[in-house]
Amino acid sequence: MIPAIALVLGVVLGVFLEPTVPSALQPYLPIAVVAALDAVFGAVRAQLDGIFDDRVFVISFVSNVLVAGLVVFLGDQLGVGGQLSTGVVVVLGIRIFSNAAAIRRHLFRA
Amino acid sequence: MSLLVDMMTNTLDGSYADAAARRAGKERLATERGNRVATPSPQRRVLAVVLLLLLGGVTGTASAQVRRGDSAARTARIQLLQDVRDETRNTDDLSRRAQDLRLAVGVLRDTALGAGSAGRLQAERLAELNLVTGGVPVRGPGIVLTLNDAKGATGTPAARGGDVERGRVQDRDLQDVVNGLWAAGAEAISINGLRLTARTAIRSAGEAILVDFRPLSPPYAIRAVGDRNGLQSGFGSGAAGGRLAALASLVHVRYFVMGADDLRLAAAGLPDLRLAQPGSSS
Repeated sequence: MIPAIALVLGVVLGVFLEPTVPSALQPYLPIAVVAALDAVFGAVRAQLDGIFDDRVFVISFVSNVLVAGLVVFLGDQLGVGGQLSTGVVVVLGIRIFSNAAAIRRHLFRA
Repeated sequence: MSLLVDMMTNTLDGSYADAAARRAGKERLATERGNRVATPSPQRRVLAVVLLLLLGGVTGTASAQVRRGDSAARTARIQLLQDVRDETRNTDDLSRRAQDLRLAVGVLRDTALGAGSAGRLQAERLAELNLVTGGVPVRGPGIVLTLNDAKGATGTPAARGGDVERGRVQDRDLQDVVNGLWAAGAEAISINGLRLTARTAIRSAGEAILVDFRPLSPPYAIRAVGDRNGLQSGFGSGAAGGRLAALASLVHVRYFVMGADDLRLAAAGLPDLRLAQPGSSS
């Protein structure tokens, strides 16, 4: 419950405070969000599977964001940033969807 | 293939299972030794919550940024529109001022010319020429011809099936009507308040009709000062009147003619000097 509230509170703060992000980091914000979402969905599923571990969650969250950002950064340097962003979004999207499906199976038995 | 299959099937981070197995092992070890099971540290719980807060914040920021990009474009547009309006008002003010100054010059000139009989003759001639060239405001009886697009001809070209021409008053229609009115004996003509002179251009730019390089929108009120009956019958029986009637019956352009007792037409703007420049008096 507390984590969900924290998430919503974060969204509200971000929308209303509109903190200025260094322009160099701006292209990585959406990718970071998708990578972090993947970690969050994985954590929810692990919680329902009964094997949640906060240490694993924190590490996977941070490393997901860093690796995704790094991949896109490398792509930008090599001139294929757009394509690599697409790749990252596709892979993480697939994972988010299958984790969401597993969560659904847990919750609704369907 | 194995990479793709792996990606599709093993969607949960493997380390969760590893951690669970490790924990199970530790618990077994602890119970075997009779110790209490170590509870997970609360700091990491807090860290997880903080990370989620951060994730929400970044999401909100990113979406706010996207929307701010939209609003920046809109702000720029509004600013440009405001600039256009301001400058138009500025131009209007300046031309009004030029008009006043021109009147003052006219009064001074008339008093100067009024001294001798030759001067008076010149002044009369000047007044006549000013009427013709649109240099002074005029008033008198005449007719008002209102011309409007056909019903349903407004809107975007796409909404009208791509037919831009049909049912809309074109620049050449206005030219035709104006020329017909001149031919019928009009002494001064204005369209939507803009006085026409021999050098006023009526042409179109995009979908708008420009008169003296100012965009006008329908309905177009054409005021012509002259003999009312002569104008009405002369225009109606002339070639331009015939063409206008044909337009009205073919593409349903709307128009009607009205007599007026007292029309007031403003003076035309100063003619543009194309080559002449102010020089020092020698």
